[in-house]
Amino acid sequence: MANVNELKQATATRDVLITRIFDAPRKLVWQAWTEPEHVMRWWGPKDFTSPVCKIDLRIGGQYHFCMRDQNGQDYWSKGVYLEIIPMTKIMATDSFSDAEGNTIPASQYGLPEDWPNELLVTMTFEDLDGKTKLTIRHQGIPDGQMKEMTSAGWNESLDKLADMLR
Amino acid sequence: MRRDVFQAIADPTRREIINLIAHKSLNLNSVAENFQVSRPAISKHIKILTECGLIEIKQSGRERFCEARLEKLHEVSDWVEQYRKMWEARLDALDNYLRALQTATKQQSSAKSKKHGKRK
Repeated sequence: MANVNELKQATATRDVLITRIFDAPRKLVWQAWTEPEHVMRWWGPKDFTSPVCKIDLRIGGQYHFCMRDQNGQDYWSKGVYLEIIPMTKIMATDSFSDAEGNTIPASQYGLPEDWPNELLVTMTFEDLDGKTKLTIRHQGIPDGQMKEMTSAGWNESLDKLADMLR
Repeated sequence: MRRDVFQAIADPTRREIINLIAHKSLNLNSVAENFQVSRPAISKHIKILTECGLIEIKQSGRERFCEARLEKLHEVSDWVEQYRKMWEARLDALDNYLRALQTATKQQSSAKSKKHGKRK
């Protein structure tokens, strides 16, 4: 179970924090994240395919992914690698994009207009006796200055989130 | 004009108003007294908050009270939940993929050892 305080802190700054332990060696998990032929096999949600996946794994290099739903609708995303520590850490920007790699405002994908065009994703890989702990932090999701809000309703939401993690 | 919870909390005066009435309903005059800006300006903010569903106006005798409807704020955290769900689904897929990969590798290596090392 995630530490509730840690979660409250993360949600207070509007971060999504996810950890998962995979029963696989770190090298394999790293490859599954960084090599296109692997990424294309799992990146999309269920019933989506991943027809395009470009990865230029170096600082300043870009990635450009496409997910295709059952109706043939494409969802492109792209980003720039800001930090890479082999087998250990990847930090990259995350934006919606078109097929040519131009950034597309999040509102075109149905998100609120004040959604930032660029989020930050950090992935860390830890070896746990042959298993691999992956931590993902997705930052920059707008908070609408919600930090100031001390309302009961807001705390309830946090508790609801905490429950989901149990 | 857009009327949703994001619009509602985009303005600092509106956030102040929500904070003010979060725990206790106040009539329109009492709300306005807490601000430097004009009463019509406050009325306009309250109107927007009402349209966004964050405030409900209740008539009580001759007075009109502003009551906060904080459930609406869940919509903001719902976006965070959506991102969480997206990642969870993605990691489920990765988990399955890693299992399949390792099973395939094991089968290959056991097939090899059968071929090469014929031991009783």
